[in-house]
Amino acid sequence: MNTMAFSSWNGKIMDNRTTGKGAGKAKKSAEGAFPAQLDGQSFAALMGWNGLVIVDPKADVVALTLAYLKEAKGLSCGECSVCMIGIDRVLDILKKMAAGKGDQHDLGEIEEIVKGVMANGKCNFGRAAALTPVLDAVKYFKADFLALPNAEKKFMEHKDYRSAVTAPCMNACPAALDIPGYIELIRNNKFKESLDLVRDRCILPGVIGRSCTHICEDACVRKDMDGSLAIRLLKRSAADQDLQGGASALTTPKVEKKEKIAIVGAGPAGLAAAYHLRRMGYQVTIFEALPKAGGMAAVGIPDYRLPKDILNHEVDLIKRMGVEIRFNSPVELLNWPDLQKEGYAAAFLAVGAHVGTKIGCRGEEIASDDVVQGAEFLRNLSLGKQAVPVNKVVIIGGGNVALDCARNCIRLGYKHVEIVYRRSPAEMPGSKEEIGEAIHENVKFTYLTAPVGIVRKVGKVAGIECMKMKLGEPDASGRKRPVPIKGSEFTLKTDMVIAATGQKPDLALLTDKEKVDMTTTWGTIKTDPRSCSTAVGGIFAGGDCVSGPATLIEALNMGNKAAKSIDAYLQGKTFADDLIFEGIDVSQQRDMGFVPPTKTGEVKFLEVDERLKGFAEVEGGFNAAAAIKEAQRCLRCYRLMVWQ
Amino acid sequence: MVNISINGQKIRAKEGANVLQEAKDLRIDIPTLCYHNDLTTFGACRLCTVEVKTDGAWKLAASCQTEVAEGMEVLTDSDKVKESRKLAAALLYYKYPGTQAIRDVAEKLGVEVVPTETDSRDCILCGLCTRTCHEIVRADALKFQDRGLGRSLEEPKIEFISPACIGCGSCAYVCSTGFVRMEAVDGKRMIWDKVFKMAVCNNCGRYFAPVEQLEFISRTTGVPVSNLMTCVSCR
Repeated sequence: MNTMAFSSWNGKIMDNRTTGKGAGKAKKSAEGAFPAQLDGQSFAALMGWNGLVIVDPKADVVALTLAYLKEAKGLSCGECSVCMIGIDRVLDILKKMAAGKGDQHDLGEIEEIVKGVMANGKCNFGRAAALTPVLDAVKYFKADFLALPNAEKKFMEHKDYRSAVTAPCMNACPAALDIPGYIELIRNNKFKESLDLVRDRCILPGVIGRSCTHICEDACVRKDMDGSLAIRLLKRSAADQDLQGGASALTTPKVEKKEKIAIVGAGPAGLAAAYHLRRMGYQVTIFEALPKAGGMAAVGIPDYRLPKDILNHEVDLIKRMGVEIRFNSPVELLNWPDLQKEGYAAAFLAVGAHVGTKIGCRGEEIASDDVVQGAEFLRNLSLGKQAVPVNKVVIIGGGNVALDCARNCIRLGYKHVEIVYRRSPAEMPGSKEEIGEAIHENVKFTYLTAPVGIVRKVGKVAGIECMKMKLGEPDASGRKRPVPIKGSEFTLKTDMVIAATGQKPDLALLTDKEKVDMTTTWGTIKTDPRSCSTAVGGIFAGGDCVSGPATLIEALNMGNKAAKSIDAYLQGKTFADDLIFEGIDVSQQRDMGFVPPTKTGEVKFLEVDERLKGFAEVEGGFNAAAAIKEAQRCLRCYRLMVWQ
Repeated sequence: MVNISINGQKIRAKEGANVLQEAKDLRIDIPTLCYHNDLTTFGACRLCTVEVKTDGAWKLAASCQTEVAEGMEVLTDSDKVKESRKLAAALLYYKYPGTQAIRDVAEKLGVEVVPTETDSRDCILCGLCTRTCHEIVRADALKFQDRGLGRSLEEPKIEFISPACIGCGSCAYVCSTGFVRMEAVDGKRMIWDKVFKMAVCNNCGRYFAPVEQLEFISRTTGVPVSNLMTCVSCR
């Protein structure tokens, strides 16, 4: 769809109307210049934080403006003098005009107020969104507004508007947490209310507050000014304050439902689905293969990043709501008809991706204790299996599993720990913070090097034969492809090799037929990305077993969605997913104005020699005062859209 | 120390200081309703707006929340500043036409103010009371009502958490409009609709502080209440 009557999106005027200011011939507009669709659907008229898009020339701009302002009023915090009162004033003027009174001067006053709020609002909602598009409406649709007092047209209020809210940080978050919302509650010294808001979409706040990859912080509007908000640490502070203040319980369901739901896997996806389904009143049983709940949070992320009492507490809260977790209960074969006979109405598969993939080098196929998979190494440690430290260990891979293995080995007393990665530091998928801490802790990094074969002497690993690489053209992932340099083979001495080059799910629980119907060529479960449903009715899936190894928050969000989707399936309702702002750049805004720089909050890190004595948590959190101070930096960049 | 200029006047300011305080020290009058020297800044009233030169361009900024920086140039009296302050004052007056503190500042900033008999003493959400209660008193009895996405309330307001209030009266003292009212009758103090029993000074026999406040001080300092029963004048 490439035609529209008018657009002022991002402040760029495209006017294809045949009458009115700037009327011209219909032009084909550049793709991406304005939102063409919302949630995959076309619209007649849209007023969003950054402009006005009119597709249907008959759309009522005045009614749209009023609908927008009503929503904006609900988002304005009301703290500063200009934004909320400005909205009130503009609403009153428009209502007066709709009642048949007023003239040109009123539109002038509206313009003055809008400009004032944009220049002088306290938060970025006021500056970028509260009234911004109203300016375009009164400027380019003047006649529509003046027609009301001139009694040419009677005002009609429409009710069929839809609205959606996001923010750059929310839009980046896989679980679309209301980040400005929970930060605002912290700023107002309401840690418990903040935690409740976080729990709506993230039921493991203490876990995620410690171990999330926080891509939200990369989207923070302050990032290029004086540094992003410490969003992850603020979430952690809400969880920490609650624990310190005696730990609140989760709300139990108001009504019980009789339907039973089976969940396979008590990782972030399984726990999130269990929590939401239980909250709706369903009878939930989780079958967990391991003696612990938490999935990769339990047997992947090391204690020094995530103390396990934090995870255990959050799992306990879910259990106390009435979710049954059967430990040490691997589902050998998912016999769906049998499960249905046992009374289960739906099943959610969230088995994770715990099987290490091969490096693809000679000698790897020989089973031995000194060549192990990264995920298995971490799992064994978490389950209490004693590791026997050797002099030198080489870890193959550049992701977070490789980094977790390395930092664990350093603490376990392995003397020399070296990460070998086939590309350069820039392409490394592991978190930058983790890499920094690993260097700090004396982990050695060797880049542009790939293993070719494992060298053994008398049955024991003695080294790893490697080749030097150079970077070539980008591959499908967009990262530069490593290309071997001929004749660069060399042997790296080592006593042990840990392969941390990726994981895939163990899908032995599916029958061969189910594997054909339900899986992808990547060895993951095939689902509808929005409803989490599989090819088999009643079976849903989410988490790493669908996405391949991904982040905790992505898995958690699939659990959130699956719960809603399963509920819709069981109640015979249509599943409505959250609106996604696909194809719309939510970072765009007109003028930012001046934001006085403030220092970002800092937390204490454990000294290196203290760290290496054991597995104590490395990163300190914010105390209440520091969290409130950091929360005051939030610009509250809510973006609003109202459309028809 | 950093070098800044305010209205062309070059001064040396203490690092970490805000522009509003520096201007006040120079006896430059900047209107404000939500600033207090002893509290963190809030930036709510938007009346202390000034122009600051950043990256070669003049931009509006709330002076209370702008920290001084080396080479900073500030204008406190430009047309843009006056216009912006006047708009903020006009909006405040639009919302709270019967509040004397607002009427005064609006009139001063050039807004046409119609005479009225009453003073409605509205809460303008300046946050002085909530900040005082949290930062100075540390009782946390006053907080803003939940706001933002998903909130249901029509108008934002201050929430009074009665059990946490110790009746110290600091909120009434800092309130910029007289919204927070405190009354004393017969050995009782009334504030935010909560009634406090007043303690009598061991020495002069006058009522001097709410019992709950003395208990709070005792709890936080470890000094027994019996040692706190003398008023400030008799100590």
